[in-house]
Amino acid sequence: MTGPAPTLTGRYLLVLDDTLVDDEEAAWDAVRAVTGGEPVAVFPGLGIAVVDRLPEDGAGPGVRVDDPRVLAVEPERRVRAISVDRAVEYIDTAELTWGLQATAVATSARTGRGTRVAVLDTGLDLGHPDFAGRAIQAKSFLTGVETVQDGLGHGTHCIGTAAGPLTPGEGRRRYGIAADTELFVGKVLTDAGTGTDATILAGISWGLESACTVVSLSLGANVREVSAVYEAVGRRALAAGTLIVAAAGNNADRSAGNPGFVGVPANSPSILAVGAVDQRLGIADFSAGSSGVDGGQVDLVGPGVAVYSAWPRPRLAATLSGTSMATPHVAGIAALVAEDTGATGSALWSQLTSSALGLGLPVSDVGAGLVQAPGASEEASL
Amino acid sequence: MNRVRISVCVRDDHLDVIDEVVRRLEGVGVEVGEVLRPLGVITGSAPAPGWRAIGQLAGVASVEAQREVRLPPPDADVQ
Repeated sequence: MTGPAPTLTGRYLLVLDDTLVDDEEAAWDAVRAVTGGEPVAVFPGLGIAVVDRLPEDGAGPGVRVDDPRVLAVEPERRVRAISVDRAVEYIDTAELTWGLQATAVATSARTGRGTRVAVLDTGLDLGHPDFAGRAIQAKSFLTGVETVQDGLGHGTHCIGTAAGPLTPGEGRRRYGIAADTELFVGKVLTDAGTGTDATILAGISWGLESACTVVSLSLGANVREVSAVYEAVGRRALAAGTLIVAAAGNNADRSAGNPGFVGVPANSPSILAVGAVDQRLGIADFSAGSSGVDGGQVDLVGPGVAVYSAWPRPRLAATLSGTSMATPHVAGIAALVAEDTGATGSALWSQLTSSALGLGLPVSDVGAGLVQAPGASEEASL
Repeated sequence: MNRVRISVCVRDDHLDVIDEVVRRLEGVGVEVGEVLRPLGVITGSAPAPGWRAIGQLAGVASVEAQREVRLPPPDADVQ
């Protein structure tokens, strides 16, 4: 004999007629009469009773019990608190980074097929074995630099998180999210890690004209004031169906009492700002908090401490921390959600925030919470 | 003469005549670098004195000096 489905307790809720509300004795009498036994609990003020069993004569959930005092019957559900147990700490396993576990990427059926993700950064190590054979669109926006070859590592690491393969080589654990997205690598930062608005904007423009689902910016300036230019760009991008996500910034020093502030371009209202959480899903010490400027709020958080991802040859992998690492988690998951729902632009933004895992932490630090990948495949959920 | 690197955002209602705005900018000494049509943004450089007045030109929604972005040093704890 099988037990109740995993989300039900096996008990039933009876909805009692309004005439029984606040009449405790009458409510108890009604339940005894209907079930032939004692209720588990009666809430007279609500007119609800909890019972272990229903009468043997075939009454069940959804079936109206043949007594006018009982309006409805439904199975009792098991519920879970939304708050996070912060005693739990995620760790990298041999197969998966902690971040892919915490964001439910590991159990998602989606890999970003049919989507396009642009990562604008220092480029990619084009010879990295984990990207061998991957069709990549590449463009450098730096004067005099023809290739997107990454001479620093930051770009390779971010691209690894956003779009790395399901099965990396040589025993490397999976670190990437949208393994089947069409990858657009824009080199907007030099190998010294510097860039200007001109190069970044040119990269964003390429992302839009390439019909990218997401443009990921793990970069910014520690400027509190919102840039009217980036806000217009974010707005026009959303209208064109491209979601721009950007790092909130690392200018906080929370253990010293400094919450930092979200800088440009993440502080644009139309650009999704990403903060960082650690393996206990607590806010990272460096993760910039909402600045109070309109648009300067953190919208989501992603895994941003001790993030394992790709690195240029010969090292091939590295573990870094930063809102730079959290941002491509959101970018990659946005591609999964776009594949899952067909949503783009503002609708995609809404999907991401409404499906985020609430962390019970201040909204000014984590926005809607920890980004989550779309659900497991049907097989996995049975 | 000093120059300032600028980004110019074209007004929504001038996006379809962005080339007119480009010519207007050139008329006040702007060296246009890129016309980013999908964004409605023009980047380039302007003579430093009075560059903010570019914001008053017809078709211009806003003008800003370009920022430089710099990643943390490669060996920094936080990226």
